[in-house]
Amino acid sequence: MEALIKKRIKQVLKGDQSAYGEIVEIYKDKVFQLCFRILGNRHEAEDMAQEAFIRGYVNISSFNIDLKFSTWLYRIATNLCIDRIRKKKPDYYLDAEVSGTDGLTMYSQIASDTILPEDEIESLELQETIQREITKLPEKYRSVIVLKYIEELSLNEISEILDIPLGTVKTRIHRGREALRHQLRNV
Amino acid sequence: MKCPDNIVLYMHEYLDEEIEDQDEQLLKKHLQTCPKCQSYFHELEKAIALVQSTSHIQAPSNFTENVMARLPKEKRRVGVNR
Repeated sequence: MEALIKKRIKQVLKGDQSAYGEIVEIYKDKVFQLCFRILGNRHEAEDMAQEAFIRGYVNISSFNIDLKFSTWLYRIATNLCIDRIRKKKPDYYLDAEVSGTDGLTMYSQIASDTILPEDEIESLELQETIQREITKLPEKYRSVIVLKYIEELSLNEISEILDIPLGTVKTRIHRGREALRHQLRNV
Repeated sequence: MKCPDNIVLYMHEYLDEEIEDQDEQLLKKHLQTCPKCQSYFHELEKAIALVQSTSHIQAPSNFTENVMARLPKEKRRVGVNR
């Protein structure tokens, strides 16, 4: 897989834009899922995922071909989503903490606009509950939890994607898990 | 019974598969005898299982076409004339 991606990147660098389409095809679901689980909203997730691929294209010459492309791409996508969360807060006054909760915000009050295929309708309610609880997590815990448990990445890779020390990744995962334990124990 | 210091830390280290052997022994032994810690640990495991149970979702249709249509135009020409 990495060899194929590297071949396509070299074609893109030579000016073959259509080769980038193959890269988008390969990673679109992973990147969209990452954005959706962090943002909790399909429309925003589509915007951010598209933007991530566009930035990836525009900056492709700065990608070090010896490194893993997905790590680089996930980093772009995660940063865009985190920026989005931070920018959104003051606009809608969503950063006020709910009294009696520990670090949770008013995001919890907003339903996500998740639309799932019909065959998943039976678990729709549970899926929405879980996503709502993920979206309630403070952004720094949310990104590590999504990268570890939904994208199933290693702690080392998460450390590279977020550009934070491994010890910080571990601490955030511990705290994120503690928050989720509290939020999901009665589900 | 008093719970060992760091027992919650050991739970997290266990979940990250980064626990020392002796700490793992201590954790397992303690969980067998302490219902409170046992239920705490199960709540952590349950939270993880629930997050992992979220279905894998796919990008919207036409995603790739939409991205390709938004790429800077000057380079697209090269691809077409390949």
